[in-house]
Amino acid sequence: MNETLHERAHQLLAESIVEGLRPADETWLREHLAACDTCAQEAAATQNVLRALRAVPVSVPRDLAARTQLRVRLRAQQSSPAATGSFWLWAVTAASWLLGVFSAPLVWRGFAWLGANFGVPKLALEFGFVLWWAVPALVAVGAVLHQRALSTGTKGI
Amino acid sequence: MSTLAFTLAAVPRPLLFAGFMTDDTQALATGLRQRDPDLLDRLIEQYQQRLYRYLLFLTGNPPLAEDLFQETWIRVLERGGQYNGKSKFDSWLFAIARNLVIDASRRKKISSLEDLGDPESNTPYDPPDERAGSVLQMLVSRENEQSVQLSLLKIPAYYREVLLLRFSEELGLEEIAGVMATPVSTVKSRLYRGLAALKTAMTESAA
Repeated sequence: MNETLHERAHQLLAESIVEGLRPADETWLREHLAACDTCAQEAAATQNVLRALRAVPVSVPRDLAARTQLRVRLRAQQSSPAATGSFWLWAVTAASWLLGVFSAPLVWRGFAWLGANFGVPKLALEFGFVLWWAVPALVAVGAVLHQRALSTGTKGI
Repeated sequence: MSTLAFTLAAVPRPLLFAGFMTDDTQALATGLRQRDPDLLDRLIEQYQQRLYRYLLFLTGNPPLAEDLFQETWIRVLERGGQYNGKSKFDSWLFAIARNLVIDASRRKKISSLEDLGDPESNTPYDPPDERAGSVLQMLVSRENEQSVQLSLLKIPAYYREVLLLRFSEELGLEEIAGVMATPVSTVKSRLYRGLAALKTAMTESAA
């Protein structure tokens, strides 16, 4: 058989693996392989190589998936929208507290004025002042604790 | 062996095995956008074998492959919103892994990853040397899968990668081009050259 025919068969074999063949080429290759033992053996050998490539066995380290899942969940928690929300909650709480500290003298004067003009008892004024000063921070802390409790409950690892 | 059997076996199967198809990819995209931890757990389980194999054969370094495996999933978590569900998830996943391998090779100068970039010269594809084909014939009787695997590790990473994506992962040419961010013509060229390189490596192993 002509060497050129074998070369063409080998080229078509490669093409059939990589990108497929046109029907005419496929028919030609079938007929050639049916008639040529050498090229048929080459085709069989190539198929064996492909089979081996498809079946490359790799054993994944036993706990790799579990470790990865844990790490991904931890990262998800660190950068979750809830964590971002916590940051802003703390920031607003801090700002509120600082504002409270610096505005305390003015507010105290306001409460004193209320007492002087409306006859409210001093103890009630002091209690009202403390409440006004502490409530924003207390609400924020309560919200953060509630958020943490929810987060722990839904994402138990 | 019949020629018909060869032809059917040689062309990669349709990608039905791939796990997530069009409808599912949309649900997958939604879940990734929402950073659904249960979905990520399932994906890690489902793709562990394929992703680890890809990374291991690309790096040739088990500890590094493990690190990159974890980093890949961290990146899936962080960039899940970028997956639009229009392409296959595994292509997107392999593209992420590949970029991490390239980053790692730049940082650590891994010898086997010296060049995952474009190795192609401007010369056209030459059909494989027929003498190399004789080694394949020896494999007919041996069916030695290990020999193929060892030979795989001897060929350049850019050929190894494309052979694995095509024949182990059974990605289509366009999908491989997407993973590698290269034209389809380059993928084809690397496949031809990779097969030739594999034959040569097996020749040397058998000698």
